[in-house]
Amino acid sequence: MSGGGGGVAAGKELAAFAEAVAGEGDMAAAISALRRKVGDAGWVDAAGVAATFNAIDRVADATGIPLEPKKAAVSADFRGDLDIDAWAEGRG
Amino acid sequence: MAYPDSAAPIRADILAAHARAWAWIAAPGNWLTGAERVAIAAETRHARDCRLCAARKRALSPEAVTGEHDGPGVLEPPMVEIVHRIVTDPARLTRRWFEARLAEGVEVTRYVETVGVVAVTVSLDTFARSMGVAPRRLPEPKPGEPSGYRPASARMEEAWVPLIVHGEESGAEADIYSGTRGAYILMALTLVPEAKRAFFDLVETQYLPSRWMQAFDTEHRAISHAQIEFLAARISALNQCVY
Repeated sequence: MSGGGGGVAAGKELAAFAEAVAGEGDMAAAISALRRKVGDAGWVDAAGVAATFNAIDRVADATGIPLEPKKAAVSADFRGDLDIDAWAEGRG
Repeated sequence: MAYPDSAAPIRADILAAHARAWAWIAAPGNWLTGAERVAIAAETRHARDCRLCAARKRALSPEAVTGEHDGPGVLEPPMVEIVHRIVTDPARLTRRWFEARLAEGVEVTRYVETVGVVAVTVSLDTFARSMGVAPRRLPEPKPGEPSGYRPASARMEEAWVPLIVHGEESGAEADIYSGTRGAYILMALTLVPEAKRAFFDLVETQYLPSRWMQAFDTEHRAISHAQIEFLAARISALNQCVY
């Protein structure tokens, strides 16, 4: 399922790591590939970021916290293009 | 909190933050006892193996599937439902679902504190999994009663739960947004100030402190700002988080 790397160094490995964190990939393989690219310190930092966002998403979803107007404004075009607003509205 | 089984050395600040986080879970909070909080952490771990949650996840609507959750059975059913849904299907939580839990008798203060305990547990367990090691052993609960503290400045705004609006913080919470730009997510848990403080202590250590987030001229981690934000965005997309 892992797609492109978004033009970011080690992007493909980071994407595969994200998918493994989300339960959609092989964690051992993702760790091995990421570690080769970013080293041990980079792996630890990536684990910290993954641990943060896998949890903070749940805080946002469970409290119904809205998106800041400024962020909503600057992201309006691609949110529309990607149908994200319709997706969000469907949550009630 | 040690990771002797990790194949890579863990930063000392992460080790210290994890020790603080586990100690926070074990202690009595504002609205939950230490035993209840450790039970919530245990339930958080069990949720991933729950057959009802798995069936709901596959269903077009989670409300279409009824039954009982698998798990230790320590918490009351409404609390189990809260924990399991936040863990296994957070993107399809709705205000109506939240209000149904309140109608079942869950006080909003206990709800917010539960969200905090679940989030801290998910974060700690995700870190362990991301390092290729087993989750750490849950702490022994500390004795004592919840304080029952509710900040006077918390009020309803646009979110489902009351919160301290950025700019209205006062009293014991006067510093709760100190050093930040007041992103709305920082307000989410402020009905239970210690939950906000505990969770964002972990966030600032594992991710970035607020002062570094947009300091693009300096890299403070072994991966770049671009790599950090790419990974964060990918995980949020996979979680279908629209915040």
